[in-house]
Amino acid sequence: MMARRSALAAMAAQATGPRRQAQLLGASAGLASAAALCLSLPPLRRLIEQSMVWHMLVQMPLLLLAGCLFGRMLAQRPAGALARSAASLNRYGLSGFMLAQCVAAYWMVPAMIDRAVVLPTADAAKLGSLWLAGVALHGAFRQAPAAVQVFFVGYALPMMGWLGYYLASTDLRLCNAYALESQVRAGWGLVLLAAVAGLAWALALQRRLAHDSPG
Amino acid sequence: MRGLPGTFAASLAILLVGLVALFAATEGGSGFTTETLRRSAVAQAPAPVPDFGVTDAHGQRQALHALLAGAPGAAGRVWIVDFVYTRCSTVCLSLGTVFQQLQQRIVEQGLQDRVGLLSLSFDPANDDAQALAAYAQRMRAQPGVWQFASLQQPADRRRLLDSFGIMVVPAPLGEFEHNAALHVVTPDARLVRILGLEDSTAALALAQGLAQERHAADTTP
Repeated sequence: MMARRSALAAMAAQATGPRRQAQLLGASAGLASAAALCLSLPPLRRLIEQSMVWHMLVQMPLLLLAGCLFGRMLAQRPAGALARSAASLNRYGLSGFMLAQCVAAYWMVPAMIDRAVVLPTADAAKLGSLWLAGVALHGAFRQAPAAVQVFFVGYALPMMGWLGYYLASTDLRLCNAYALESQVRAGWGLVLLAAVAGLAWALALQRRLAHDSPG
Repeated sequence: MRGLPGTFAASLAILLVGLVALFAATEGGSGFTTETLRRSAVAQAPAPVPDFGVTDAHGQRQALHALLAGAPGAAGRVWIVDFVYTRCSTVCLSLGTVFQQLQQRIVEQGLQDRVGLLSLSFDPANDDAQALAAYAQRMRAQPGVWQFASLQQPADRRRLLDSFGIMVVPAPLGEFEHNAALHVVTPDARLVRILGLEDSTAALALAQGLAQERHAADTTP
């Protein structure tokens, strides 16, 4: 009994620092992934079937976040051959941004949102691709200099804000799967999310620039 | 370590795959909503309407195909079909207004034998013959022009909606929202075109044209 307890204590002592951080990142990535996946399975599936807010403003960002956390966890490990070759094809984060941009644009098309609600295969593709986009996004932000970040973020967030405003202000029901009221709420939510994400990004960038500049 | 050319090639490949996926999913950029894609798919290739047992406002039970075909031996009418539920107080009212206008024009132009109006209920649990009759009266429907039908088997509801591409979603206050449109259906039960409510003139012209073709073909031999 005593021996076992001391062994546990030794393990706990070992698990501090970077390794502990990696474990925490792994746990939160797993938790976020599981939560996003649960939203696609019954009984929680009802939420994304009935509310565009749950679909576009909870599940989709959660998938991106889960991917980001997973990417961050990977980045803490010593880079393997695969990671090195991936990084060499992702100079300045260009490929990562491109991938995230394509995936996000695809799932912002109203017909694709409908399809993800109706077709399980489309929903599975959505889960996988948005999660992967999150991983790519993390790598991109890590490698991209400020100018490249401004270029991509400066395109993506206004596009998202504009789409949100359009969803909120049009009389057209764009998704056959959702009531107009749900669309309006999701639209304003997208505007808000774009604003918050923009602010968070600007603050992070400022911190990094201040950190990088000498003196 | 490979430099920028590798990255540019990878980015370009990703962009190309993304564009191809988007192009394929939107039928070559022809539609970004399910509704426009549904309409263009039907315009390109008419869709057969499956047969269902229906009950009309007079309580008469028959097959939907028999209703669409009309009296045996005749060329039949081309139908403009919409979907309703009789408890509706929102979008069905605008549909109702459009159908009233269409009814008026059909009567004025004497097209009763060529073009018919049919409102199909997607709420078979509530819409029996009585509910349909009350609804017809409220809409001032003329029996010879505008007909109403509900499914005999509530279990057929899903298949009926899927065959037309209608999605019904719950809305506040116990209402339903659904993609409202005018569906042009031939007497041989083929859905040939879907038009928006604002295109009722085009829908009537199309139905009339199709009916004329059928009558001409019927009288030639």
